[in-house]
Amino acid sequence: MDKKKQSKEEKVGADGLTKKERRALKVQARQTDDNKAEQKNIRQHSVPKNGEKSEINQNMAEKGSENVTENGVIVEEVKVPLDKPESGLSMKEKRKLEWEKKLASVKNENNIETKCDQQLSKSEQKAKRREIQEAQRLAKKNTVTKNTEELNSKISPENKKIDSAATKSFPAKHTCSKRFDGSILSPLQMPFRDYKPVELYDSVCLPNIHPAFIELGVQYSSKTILGSNARCISLLCALSRLVKDLRTPPEQEFSRYLELVLQKSTSYLQKCRPMSVSMTNALKLFKSQLTQIDSNIPDEDIKKKLLDFIDTFIHDEILTAGKAISLKVLEKISNGDIILIYGCSSLIKRILIEAFESKKQFKVIVVDNRPLTEGVEMLRRLTKAGIDCTCVSINGLRYVMASVTKIVLGAHSLLTNGYVMSRAGTSLIALAAKAFNRPVLVCCETYKFSERVQADSLVYNEIGDPDILLKDDTLNNPSPMKSRSKKRRRKFLNLLYDVTPAFLITAVVTELAILPCTSVPVVLRVKPIEI
Amino acid sequence: MEGEEISKYFLKIIEHEDVSVGIAAIRTLMEIINKTASTTVQGLDENIKDGISIMKRSHYPVAAIDSGCELFVRFITLTRLDTHFEECKRIMLKRGNLYLKHHNRSRNTIVTSASKLIGDGVRILTHSRSRVVLQTLREAAKQKRKFEVYVTISEPDKSGLELCKQLEIDGIPHVAILDSSVGYIMEQIDFVMIGAECVVESGGVVNKIGSYTMAVCAREMNKPFYVLTESFKFSRLFPLGQQDLPLEYKYDNYSNSTDFKKVHPLVDYTPPSFITLLFTDIGILTPSAVSDELIKLYL
Repeated sequence: MDKKKQSKEEKVGADGLTKKERRALKVQARQTDDNKAEQKNIRQHSVPKNGEKSEINQNMAEKGSENVTENGVIVEEVKVPLDKPESGLSMKEKRKLEWEKKLASVKNENNIETKCDQQLSKSEQKAKRREIQEAQRLAKKNTVTKNTEELNSKISPENKKIDSAATKSFPAKHTCSKRFDGSILSPLQMPFRDYKPVELYDSVCLPNIHPAFIELGVQYSSKTILGSNARCISLLCALSRLVKDLRTPPEQEFSRYLELVLQKSTSYLQKCRPMSVSMTNALKLFKSQLTQIDSNIPDEDIKKKLLDFIDTFIHDEILTAGKAISLKVLEKISNGDIILIYGCSSLIKRILIEAFESKKQFKVIVVDNRPLTEGVEMLRRLTKAGIDCTCVSINGLRYVMASVTKIVLGAHSLLTNGYVMSRAGTSLIALAAKAFNRPVLVCCETYKFSERVQADSLVYNEIGDPDILLKDDTLNNPSPMKSRSKKRRRKFLNLLYDVTPAFLITAVVTELAILPCTSVPVVLRVKPIEI
Repeated sequence: MEGEEISKYFLKIIEHEDVSVGIAAIRTLMEIINKTASTTVQGLDENIKDGISIMKRSHYPVAAIDSGCELFVRFITLTRLDTHFEECKRIMLKRGNLYLKHHNRSRNTIVTSASKLIGDGVRILTHSRSRVVLQTLREAAKQKRKFEVYVTISEPDKSGLELCKQLEIDGIPHVAILDSSVGYIMEQIDFVMIGAECVVESGGVVNKIGSYTMAVCAREMNKPFYVLTESFKFSRLFPLGQQDLPLEYKYDNYSNSTDFKKVHPLVDYTPPSFITLLFTDIGILTPSAVSDELIKLYL
């Protein structure tokens, strides 16, 4: 033991420091540097944010801001995205340079520092040592990387030993995380690409896209318009504006030209946010209508027919269907019921308000969930109508489920195998309801029925912005995950939908009838959505 | 036809002939159409509705009358013609006869397919008294199969004992058991076979009280639970649970009493998840296929 100790003490470097002292130095350097880098980060990130004003543009915070003027002309301000690897590298280099400076200044003060170090308690020193050792181990692994070599050449020979260790220990982690990006993924993340924020700026000038669609795209991507009914209705409204405003260029047929324009508009919308099943179905019907129209009749007549079609679609398939569903659910709501709902749905709101107006006595439990917190909005709407409501977070589901008598849920789409695709969290609710033996009613208009078959929610899903998972409304402190999320290999996955198996659902209420989930294919056969 | 006359005609059919309540109701409706005094389609509609409500007031199971009449009315009025009333009436009667003819044969179809289930040495549990089940058992006995039937006494009207009497006549070995011994007997039997008062949209069935208990026990012990029923008993109802069943189904003369907590319900609802297969005249169906058939009929 003594020998070992001695040998350790003997190992005094060229700079006149023992190993221990050097380690302490490194730690200190790293800590100060960490802070600095972070400050710098914050500074840089806040730059583009100054440019934006409207809440619609929130989503594009890091990508640049965009203003849609009344004329529909787009004023674009393209900024270099900070996330891109090139800028990331340059940032790293800057950081490294800063470290060097820092270390040089630290070097001068090292005598004072070592004294301070000696004053630290033994346990603290131990912890520090461990930290340093780990850092060094990591650094050793990464000695192969070019960056360090490049860096070493810059460092003066005197400081070389300290510097290389220190710089390696921390930025090495960066390079490491960059390298493993995408290769180490949990099985859950496997099928997904990374979330890509909407890149509105790459469709420069957006030629041939009606301003109504541009507006819609922004509203979709910022989630100002949320909910599959609302999205479908707004799409149809934009469509009717497009039909009204469209002027056929000479020597072209109106319907062919419209198809062309529509193609571009929809691909733009798709880019803003993947289309919902309701929208796809509505568009399919519209297009089939378009192809059926006789192209020999004058443009005005075609326009009139198309506008009529849009109006009847909104009226019949959405509004009247909603009324029919509301009446059917009303039969199932009895006095004294406690109804559990999840998230926000225009249809459920309508049903509950109409039931309330027809003097049924019931209570509502709204289950809310992060990150969209739609339940709060639903709660606001229902209490405004005077309905007795309770709001719980999804964590408290089990607590309330025992007192619930019925569960009424909305749906994004109904799949051919009877599975229900809906806002993420719905299957959890259905599962809890099954465990407590409570009937689950899913309300869905038949125009939302899909020909797709899906057995789980991973096959097809929409990835939302993972950053909103880190939003913390309840605490003033920013989420601890947020500051580190970019440095670690940690990834966030924000899936928007999930799929509820048919056996968890008692019945589906459609405008045709109350059906078991498994009857979806029959309804599709009887009432074909695709013509 | 007056109210008195209708109920007399209806009761006469049930008491004197061995037909199910649904068929009796349909035949009464045919009689109403035949003897109607009204000269408009609308008037006839009114007559039919009145007739149905009169029949419902008798002490026979409302569920069976309801489902039978609903489908019948739907069937004969599928193509309501804008021609002369007499012509229209004639077409309706013709369709009605066609419907009746079809359903008279329906029981035979079910018996043929269901009797194949009963092999030698099989022990069957059944509940209450169902004509289709009885005929199936008779058919199997005719084919010289050796099997044993356990019949619940089925309170409150002890209809199980009636079935036992008929089995005695046919010489089929049977045991009458208490309603409360369903769980006890379940491990000894091979499968459960019951009839139904009506089949609802979910694929579940509404039947004499005690069927649900039997279904739950059978599910727990992994015994198949078969339901034998004619397709005219399909109804557009979708109960979410026992509480959600219409009161008129559950209680005799329900309008007389107000406090149902102390009244014994007559029927219960067996959810589709407890049913293995439904033997009907349109085929052997899984519960989920029932709504498919109903959608085809009504949409």
